[in-house]
Amino acid sequence: MNSSALAWVVNPALPIVLPLLAAFLLGPVTRVSAFVGRLLGPLTLAICVWLIGELWLAHGGEPFAVAIGTFAAPLGIVLYVDRIALLFAAAVPIFALLFWPWEVSGERATRESALLLILVASATGLALSGDIFNIYVFYELVAVASFGLAASNATGQAYVATIRYLLQSATGSLLALIGIAILYLKTGTLTLAHLAELAPSTLHDPLGLAAFALLLIGFGVKAEMFPVNTWVPEVYATAPARVSALLAGLVSKLAVLVVVRLLVLVFNQPEASQLLLVLGALGMISGELSAWRARDFSRMLAFSSIGQLGMVFIAFALPGEIGVLAGLAVALHHLVLKSGLFALAARWGGSMEALAGLGRRSPLAGAIYVLFALSMIGVPPLPGFWAKLVVLVALAQQGPLELAAMGAILVVTAIEANYLFRLAVVLYRKGGAAAVPASGVPAPALGAGLVAPLLCLTLLAATVAIVPVTEGLRSVARQTVDVAGYVRTVFPSAQPPLARKEWP
Amino acid sequence: MIPFSLETILYTCAIGMVVIGVFGLVLSNHLLRMVLALSVAEAGGNLLVVLAGYRGGAIAPIIGYAAPGTLMVDPVPQALVLTSIVIGVGVEALAVAILIRVYRAYGSLDLRLLVERMQGDMAKAAGIPRTTSTHAPAGERPLPPIPVGARHQPDAVGHLAPEVQS
Amino acid sequence: MTSLDLLFLVSGLTLVVALVLGRQRLTAPLLVVLYGVQFAALIHTGTLFGDPVAASFGITVLDQPMHWRYDALSWFFAMITIGAGFFSAWYAAGVWQSAYAKGGQSPWLFHVALAANVFAMLVLLGSGDFLSLFLGWELVSWASFLLMALGGPASGRAALRYLTYAFSGAMAILGAMALLYTQAGSLEYAQVAAAIPTLTNTQVWVLLALFGSGFGVKMGLLPFHLWQAAAYAETPGPGSAFFGAISSRMGLYAIMVVIVAMMGVTRLANMDVVFALVSARDLLAWIAALTIILPTFTALQQHDARYLLAWHGIGQGGYMLLGLVTGSAIGTAGGIMHVFNHATYQAALFMAVMAVVHRTGTADLNKLGGLVARMPLSFLVMLFGIIGLAGLPPMNGFVSKWMIYSALITDGMPLLFVAAIVGTLGTILSVYKLIHNMFLGQLRIEHEQVREAPLSMLAPMLALATLIFLSGLVPGPVLSWVAEVQRVVGLPVVNYSLGGVIDPRGSLDMLWLVGILMAGFGVGALVFFGFGGKSRRVHQLDNYAGGHFLTAQVRYQYSDNFYAGLMHLIGPWYRGAFRWLEEAISALVDLLSYAMHWIYRSVQPLVFLLAATVAMLVWAGV
Repeated sequence: MNSSALAWVVNPALPIVLPLLAAFLLGPVTRVSAFVGRLLGPLTLAICVWLIGELWLAHGGEPFAVAIGTFAAPLGIVLYVDRIALLFAAAVPIFALLFWPWEVSGERATRESALLLILVASATGLALSGDIFNIYVFYELVAVASFGLAASNATGQAYVATIRYLLQSATGSLLALIGIAILYLKTGTLTLAHLAELAPSTLHDPLGLAAFALLLIGFGVKAEMFPVNTWVPEVYATAPARVSALLAGLVSKLAVLVVVRLLVLVFNQPEASQLLLVLGALGMISGELSAWRARDFSRMLAFSSIGQLGMVFIAFALPGEIGVLAGLAVALHHLVLKSGLFALAARWGGSMEALAGLGRRSPLAGAIYVLFALSMIGVPPLPGFWAKLVVLVALAQQGPLELAAMGAILVVTAIEANYLFRLAVVLYRKGGAAAVPASGVPAPALGAGLVAPLLCLTLLAATVAIVPVTEGLRSVARQTVDVAGYVRTVFPSAQPPLARKEWP
Repeated sequence: MIPFSLETILYTCAIGMVVIGVFGLVLSNHLLRMVLALSVAEAGGNLLVVLAGYRGGAIAPIIGYAAPGTLMVDPVPQALVLTSIVIGVGVEALAVAILIRVYRAYGSLDLRLLVERMQGDMAKAAGIPRTTSTHAPAGERPLPPIPVGARHQPDAVGHLAPEVQS
Repeated sequence: MTSLDLLFLVSGLTLVVALVLGRQRLTAPLLVVLYGVQFAALIHTGTLFGDPVAASFGITVLDQPMHWRYDALSWFFAMITIGAGFFSAWYAAGVWQSAYAKGGQSPWLFHVALAANVFAMLVLLGSGDFLSLFLGWELVSWASFLLMALGGPASGRAALRYLTYAFSGAMAILGAMALLYTQAGSLEYAQVAAAIPTLTNTQVWVLLALFGSGFGVKMGLLPFHLWQAAAYAETPGPGSAFFGAISSRMGLYAIMVVIVAMMGVTRLANMDVVFALVSARDLLAWIAALTIILPTFTALQQHDARYLLAWHGIGQGGYMLLGLVTGSAIGTAGGIMHVFNHATYQAALFMAVMAVVHRTGTADLNKLGGLVARMPLSFLVMLFGIIGLAGLPPMNGFVSKWMIYSALITDGMPLLFVAAIVGTLGTILSVYKLIHNMFLGQLRIEHEQVREAPLSMLAPMLALATLIFLSGLVPGPVLSWVAEVQRVVGLPVVNYSLGGVIDPRGSLDMLWLVGILMAGFGVGALVFFGFGGKSRRVHQLDNYAGGHFLTAQVRYQYSDNFYAGLMHLIGPWYRGAFRWLEEAISALVDLLSYAMHWIYRSVQPLVFLLAATVAMLVWAGV
């Protein structure tokens, strides 16, 4: 679409602004017409999906940068659109649509829809932003929206879990702010491209590493990084399953994206990668081992999510294009997988013993669970295996610390297989408690009933089309590690920007 | 010998506020105290950001305040801090709102008690029995508290059972 | 479309037919026919005596190609796989299936699982590089899990235990593959085989440990064998015959491809265990020897006939590995031939046991007896089976065991020879217990009306028994296949004849042997029937013992605590060391997970945040 009439559509600010606008208009519109109010949110999200498609088509996968308010970088804020940003920016409205609160009605629906729209807007902003403080602001917006969503069950335990999550998140954000302060102190700029240029000369010292450590803890809260992930089992077990799906699947990946941008562009040092590797390994081990003990489904998924995200961090800690490829493969696989499993948890939340025999009553749900479990532990030819293979092969080629991480991944996967299939055996037990339909079981919402099969189909499609999918991911990874290209896109003019700004 | 310039004192204060706030968060047992400690820490963090732009002997960054060419303090961190303060205010307001809901649900803001109750409610909602000895003590539940003024008559076994006066 | 494509196609078609049409009545015979077609397709590939055949398709993911091909080694194992599938499906297609369905189970799932197992094994056997090997390995593991989990709750538990072991083994294989890729730069067999001679001994030790553990779990080598007995015994009906016949040998196939063909027995003989006088080859040989002895003497104690046979299955795998690591022509031929022989008699034995279970309703050895009077043909099948299992002439088990013993003696490994003999002793003792407690002795009152096994079960049993005898009488054809396998794997080729092997240090000619044996029996029969007095048939209870006449109500059958004297001697040696090891590992995982869970249950998690921040700042050097 090259007509100038619709050229204004190709603006990355639109997918951020529109959901925000819709969120605040939702209240008044619902008061005028309830029907339009119910549809406003999904409509906005559909428009956002279309907008992101237009962004992709307009530039065909080549990166471009847009300065907000015509203030050019490094003074102004830049929105940077490349393949990885578009990938995650597209995932946000799609998954928000999948997990839209259709079954809630009335005042509560308006509140939750508004919060979800704010989450979508700020998450899109996180993916598209090219300025570190802008990222911080969007990150806080995501946090506030997620606090509201986490408490949406309105039970006592949900509130306690939310306040503990809030305190942990706010403390982490404070440390991230201090990290940003250190960054600004050393380099005098907040634009990621400018930071990438100045990093080799200013940030390769203890203070720079300290800034990285602080930023990592700050953004690691949402990314379920060890040791700031203790909120995860509490929140995922007390929030509604679709909120847990969004937090575990979508929001965590966006936080990981932020960490990856920082790692690739600004902190491209082996010590930073090592720190990420160690924290990822600790997270993976602690998460999967705790999942082994879990006795209810939501908490098992929460711990398993911590474990998988630990593996994502290990993957991203590998140097070069292969690291980003491995991390992307595991992260995207987990996005589809965890969302699908939490969609199942909408009906299966609760004690796992109560699920005995459920696989015989609803064979489709049982089969979907088994397929998800197989992909999670990495059984070929499902996509989980390929993701894990890339990680393992890349780890084996590095030093002794990475070999230890590889061994940890292998041991932990065996434990994972045990607890996942412990549940599968329970599901197919004869004469179990759930084998006979109970009279008081609430009917599943339209969304929850369709989402899990849909995501399962996505997984199967990725299995069949594994070659194009991996080649596509490889091109995304190649573009992501191209730091020189990033700087060139943001600063197209040949002459270098000011090294450190000198004000009169 | 560390020179006691204004800058050093300010940095010490900022970092000190952060440390006080974080230790208050970590050592505190009452949720409201934790929120207050968080606000102290955030104030310290904001001060640190402002300090990142400080230049010794410079004036406030307002155009037209002095002759062009006079050294000004870096205005960017001050803009950042404005945003950051607003974020902090919003988060604290949300935190206090949630605290009110917590208090209404559980009647207390003591962290240890709340965590215990939360775990108990989560387990009950999931239908999982809690089997450690603190949650399921062996033997009979203790008798209900004996009301004031009840007459005590030992029953056949020798327990004192209350006879409540009507 | 190559002949290998055709084989995969037919096998996949069998699976699809089982899935789609499985609930119809006529599907089971159709499936049996399809297994026969698979066998024909296998022969059509002509890869036993000819060149390797490649499949026409392949996938390349992330620069890693996957392709499939069949050579003589694949042919050998595939022949056994399809044969085992054929006989199991034949057995299941008749009366057994109706009884199974009447018991509330689903024969459809059984046939699907069986077809999936055969298909997965054929895919595994055709692997042309490590990636397709792993793909096939995982398919086989999960197909086995499906077939194992079909019984009641006991089989679910056993299947879960199998899964944990199998998946840990698979992870070891994956780790070894990653390390191998780092060294060799590729996962193709040719490149890896070229790179292995350049590796240091330490690296080869690591690879040997990882691959050995991974493949050994499937094979049931010590100390990874604890899952196998319960899993195979609790599998419904002919499924356990199928598993006992071929399923563990997939591990042996992988060992032959990776360890024997690529690393080579000579390389292993040159690698010494640190601070010991043994080499890696000796270590493997002793692991095999212990695998022969310990499970066999565990089988002695079993009360359940299926468990007894399942424990024997574990033990016989040790013979195959022992034969392979001798590295000589006769020894390796014995090991490879033992795969075929074991498949035949293990399947026959399981089928006979299942026939007895079908007729009497129990497999408990203490509740059976005297069935030879009611089920003589089943007795005959079991007799052939146990003579084969014990390795006595004239059955085929004797040939392979003789070759292994001969290789052990002539290659100067007398202690291993003694270990093998002790294992055979245990085998003979426990199979005698099996046949005695089931068929010999006193018939129980409740089994008076038991009839012979139905024809649909008898036919495959008798066919297998005939096969056992014929391949024992004329081992030449089987040895020709074995020789082709040896040629492909790179082992010295055995010099075989129609009746056995030819070797300057000692030949074997089964034709002569069986002839002399039969002649001996003939002389005995002549004396007994010709010159002896006329015999009169009396009722079993028409007897007088210990002061009174025998009645049917009193139990005279000697079955419980069968080897009381032997157990008195060796009983204290049953310490359950491997079960202790398994429980110790479970307890360790439990402890670690409790510790991790404690972190997530803490009341004040910000302590961890603070500690981590301080630690990281210190690490950064601030």
